[in-house]
Amino acid sequence: MTTTTAAPGTPAAGAHAVPHTVSPGLWALGWKRLKSDHVGMVSLAIVAAFIVMMILSGVGLVAGDWSKELGVNYAPPSFIGADIEGGTPAAAGVAPGATAAGGPASSYQSSVVDPLADVLAELRGEAKPAAAAEADAADAGKSVDPLADVMADIKAGAAKAAASGGAPAAAVEARAPTLLLGGDKWGRDVLKKTIKGSQTSIFVGLAAAAVAVFLGTLFGALAGYYGNWVDDLFNWFYAVFSSIPYLLLILAVAAVLQQKGILTIVLILGLTGWTGTFRLIRGEYLKHKAREYVQAADAIGASHARRMFVHIFPNVSHVVLVQLSIYAVGFIKAEVILSFLGFGVPVDVVSWGSMLNEAQNELILGKWWQLAAAGTAMALLVTAFSLFTDALRDALDPKLKGRAGM
Amino acid sequence: MTAYIIRRLWQMIPTMLGVILLVFVLFNWVGGDPAYVLAGKISNQEQIDNIRRQLGVDQPMWVQLWIFIKQVLTADFGASWSTNEKVGHILATRLGPSLTVLVPLLILETLFAIALSLAVAYVRGSLTDRVVMIVCTVGLSISILVYIIVFQYFFAYKLGWFPVQGWGNGFVENLFVYSALPILIGLTVSIAPSLRLYRTFFLDEINQDYVRTARAKGLSENRIMWVHVLRNASIPIITNLMSSLPGLLLGSFLIERFFSIPGIGREVILAVERSDFPVIKAITVYVAFATMATNLLADLMYKAVDPRVQFK
Amino acid sequence: MTELRNLPARLALAALAAAALALPAAAADMNKVIHHAFPAAETGFDPQGISDLYSGTVVQAIFETLLTYDYLARPSKLAPMAAEALPQVTDDGKTYTFKVRKGVYFTPDPAFKGQKRELVANDFAYSLKRLVDPRVRSPYAFLVEGKIVGLDEAAEAAKKSGRFDYDAKIAGLEIVDRHTLRIRLKATDYGLAYVLAHEPTSAVAREVVEAYADESGRVQSNPVGTGAYKLAKWVHSSKISLEANPDYRGFVWDFKAGSDPDDARIVREMKGRKMPQVGRIEISIMEEDQARLLAFQGGEIDLENMEGPLAPNVLDGGKLRPEFAAKGVKLSRFVDPEITYHFWNLQDPVVGGLSKDKIALRRAMAMSYNVGEEIKVVRNGQAVEAQYPIPPGVVGHEPAYRSSVRYDPAGANALLDKFGYRKGADGFRTLPDGKPLLIRYASRPDSLGRLQDEMWKKAFDSIAIRMEVQKDRFPELVKAEKECKLQMRTAAWIADYPDADNFMQLLYSKNIHQSNNACASIPEYDRLYEQSLRMPDSPARNKLYVEMAKLIEAYAPWRLDISRYRNMLAQPWVLGFKKHPILHAEWQYIDVGPKK
Repeated sequence: MTTTTAAPGTPAAGAHAVPHTVSPGLWALGWKRLKSDHVGMVSLAIVAAFIVMMILSGVGLVAGDWSKELGVNYAPPSFIGADIEGGTPAAAGVAPGATAAGGPASSYQSSVVDPLADVLAELRGEAKPAAAAEADAADAGKSVDPLADVMADIKAGAAKAAASGGAPAAAVEARAPTLLLGGDKWGRDVLKKTIKGSQTSIFVGLAAAAVAVFLGTLFGALAGYYGNWVDDLFNWFYAVFSSIPYLLLILAVAAVLQQKGILTIVLILGLTGWTGTFRLIRGEYLKHKAREYVQAADAIGASHARRMFVHIFPNVSHVVLVQLSIYAVGFIKAEVILSFLGFGVPVDVVSWGSMLNEAQNELILGKWWQLAAAGTAMALLVTAFSLFTDALRDALDPKLKGRAGM
Repeated sequence: MTAYIIRRLWQMIPTMLGVILLVFVLFNWVGGDPAYVLAGKISNQEQIDNIRRQLGVDQPMWVQLWIFIKQVLTADFGASWSTNEKVGHILATRLGPSLTVLVPLLILETLFAIALSLAVAYVRGSLTDRVVMIVCTVGLSISILVYIIVFQYFFAYKLGWFPVQGWGNGFVENLFVYSALPILIGLTVSIAPSLRLYRTFFLDEINQDYVRTARAKGLSENRIMWVHVLRNASIPIITNLMSSLPGLLLGSFLIERFFSIPGIGREVILAVERSDFPVIKAITVYVAFATMATNLLADLMYKAVDPRVQFK
Repeated sequence: MTELRNLPARLALAALAAAALALPAAAADMNKVIHHAFPAAETGFDPQGISDLYSGTVVQAIFETLLTYDYLARPSKLAPMAAEALPQVTDDGKTYTFKVRKGVYFTPDPAFKGQKRELVANDFAYSLKRLVDPRVRSPYAFLVEGKIVGLDEAAEAAKKSGRFDYDAKIAGLEIVDRHTLRIRLKATDYGLAYVLAHEPTSAVAREVVEAYADESGRVQSNPVGTGAYKLAKWVHSSKISLEANPDYRGFVWDFKAGSDPDDARIVREMKGRKMPQVGRIEISIMEEDQARLLAFQGGEIDLENMEGPLAPNVLDGGKLRPEFAAKGVKLSRFVDPEITYHFWNLQDPVVGGLSKDKIALRRAMAMSYNVGEEIKVVRNGQAVEAQYPIPPGVVGHEPAYRSSVRYDPAGANALLDKFGYRKGADGFRTLPDGKPLLIRYASRPDSLGRLQDEMWKKAFDSIAIRMEVQKDRFPELVKAEKECKLQMRTAAWIADYPDADNFMQLLYSKNIHQSNNACASIPEYDRLYEQSLRMPDSPARNKLYVEMAKLIEAYAPWRLDISRYRNMLAQPWVLGFKKHPILHAEWQYIDVGPKK
């Protein structure tokens, strides 16, 4: 795989050994053709910008604090201005103080011994309500606390804790009424989420594409090169996989893998998506193994593995590269659907899919900015990526035109 | 020809066995034990064992697998675990609504995509061509979820052109009233990739020798495009169309959920949520069979349209 | 959509029909239609075979129980339905005698072979037997299990023989005469009357069951009842059409207004009418919130339960938004008789146990959770904080009670420090013995599950405890929960019947592996609970419940979360609608006027 990504223009490894290979200038020629394609170059620049953003966000230089709640709930974008209605959906009936209201009502005295009553009262730094004290006094007579001495120990240390840690919670941080691209339900910055989300989505797309294309290439190479029963076996495997409805396959694999994070998503998509590449690569290998240069390699005693991966592979690597980018585009979109089905990213991760699914009910509430931000970012990247893929295909192998099936 | 068909049918058997095995392993592995849910809010172990016995999930794996194979052979998948409705009846009633949306969608999509792609292929390389292609790419890059949410909100609710959701009793009402917006969304989503694909089919044909010959003979460009190119490009188009149908059946679950269409896709999601194994098994097997059958049919039509195709 | 809205003509027609044919239910007008939406699919209509709310809603319209609830009375008050009157309770709450109404007939069905089939006492006895029949495996068996003299023994015998003997006499289900049923209980139980108002005890006809039963002895698709409606058309998980039952005896609308000012309007709209008025009920299943709300706004559905996620669109806090109020949309709003609570598995090695450090850990987690924020952001203000394990609208609720558990992250941190849950090098706390501490929170893969994950993530971050979400499909979560294999999860319990016992039993140790999802075994709690079982509703029983509530706060098997508001929206043309907290279906108590 790594040989494919070698700098364009470097002759592929096998090309030196065997003169009959495709012209050694394939990559150089491709790069030249690509450079003359303006749309392709602009797209490449956009994709590169996204990848730079992904790396910056990955190392924590930008949007590291995306989960911070900077604005009010559903803070509108700055260019619209603060929500006159007050920014928060009315919370009638629940004054914010209601939670803290509490306080033991004297009419509910009980003989229940709270094993931590003293500790809690002191940790909170509050005077024990008279009623409770009375109840304690009453309890002391009838129920014996089996852990009385431990409690005494705790009491001793509690005063200190009350002084240092028991202070009332810090005043709520000031929240911004608007954010540049608006805020989400919790008041998190949509712009930062979009950037952080691009990191996840692009990574998922590229990694899953790598897995799928790797599997497809490996299986396709084996099947196409060896033929006979190996070919039959992989073809059978291919037929089985492509006959099972994709949706059910995804749901089943998702359930088998359980929910462990981004890697799961990569595997779900990768393990179910290799069939298209398999078919193409198998065809290529079938074609190439009969070529003279392969027979020549055989004559000089190259092993099967060497012939497969050192001699033939560089000649089909452009197909692999194109497949890789087609798949990446498809999987970035598929992640949205996985999120809809509930197999999305874990709770401390944000992706475009998770954003779009959050935004599902927001449009109707008039909070369109998250939908717009994630939707636009995704559209921009995917468009650029697709146009770049087209340009790449045209540049590397004009004959392949139109294989974009996703 | 007959020999070829028989051989293809024969090859379906190992594939089907593979499908059965894979589905069985996957869904048994993930548990799929709905006994606790079926037992209700308050239940005891005895009741749960009783339910397991009734569902047959307490039997050894190989017995369950054999039952599955028998079910496939007899095409009788028993009753749904959650509703006790016959699985065959469930599928029969869900297929209609799915097809009511899908068939017109496929027909319209194919017609539009062919006409448009033929047009851009005709002016290939021009500015129009490039702009149309870029518009297609942009259209392709928006998630279907966004299309559904936005279209339902604007076209159905804000503008009131369509009902927001629903499904009626009559075919005509369903097709023209309730399916209209789902079909429109389906078209928006699917026409761009088809257009791109068909355009390349046409370009492939245009570069063929016979086109040059036809031009040399002095045939009009219109005639070349509409008769010769179209006829030859129709082979890959048909193949593409046929092979996409079984996948679409389930793939339209998003549309079916948002528009409350009682179709197959929605049923699959429901069955997986409820661990309703009989329904899952039946849908998988039928769709797998449909996939293989349409593939075979596509190959046969390939042959019918183009006698040059040789079967190996 | 094509209702004939010509009132005089309709009345004339109805009068003519009544005069000519003397049909008892001539009041119902087939042109009056209520369109209703369910957010989840139904499973079937066998009263003893179902357990989900939506199937139950339809069952309530088709079948009749002995008792029901008064439509307007709040708090809920029992009223006779198929019984002539409330039961005679004798023998210290151990014997209940019911007189079944005479002259009530099942809807005609081929199973009756052309005969008119009267409802008799034995039909109710038959239904109660079906609840425990192992073949039917009713999810509601618990309603009668262990209660009725001789019934459990009959079920036991059926398990051995493989067939429930419905003809055998059961001492606790005595058919005194054709229309009198006497139920004898093993122990005092003042809650039985509520059970007999719950739709799983609805009367079904044995002939029908025997004619249509599937392999598990259920009749899911051919419901034959005595209620106000009958099933006209059913497309599974898509559409359910009900029609007024022409053989239904009907009743005259005569309910007393309560303290709610809106009641006066309802009485004015409805008083003296012959019921039911609405001829057809068209129910569609719509899973997506956006679709349901837009459909209501577009007038495609008449009644809609406005849930939290989209509530701000329609509601401004507790009131309708002006544009809806101006259109005449009516809102029926109250706190549902339910509680949502987060529970910890008391058998779990990390969060379980009754030792002080474990109690401290649970209480710290309870204190770290911001219920106020959940109500504001997740529930959009459409919920109240649950202070007491018995929610409003349920007998035994204490409106003035305030929980001692409150949102206090600083206190939670101090408590953890106190008990040796020290922060490690990575900034996260460890167990007192230095081993890593990781809490697994289980939730469903849907959007509400995701929001709950986010709430708990924030809570755990605030007390520096590492948390992981365990996502699974509902059946798998339920299984793990019942096997006491989860660590913590959020659960909700909605009243089956409006009595405190339905809630307090949730922590009784004998209900572990059943409804006690915290797998809690707190000896003190058990002792108090067993005491409460032997008491009728009384201040003395309520006092026990207060003690038990305090125990829940002290030992923290739960963090009580919220009770949701029920916001039932009715279109302007729907008359007399008021959502009942326990009854699922109000269709037979309402009317529809002309659309504007």
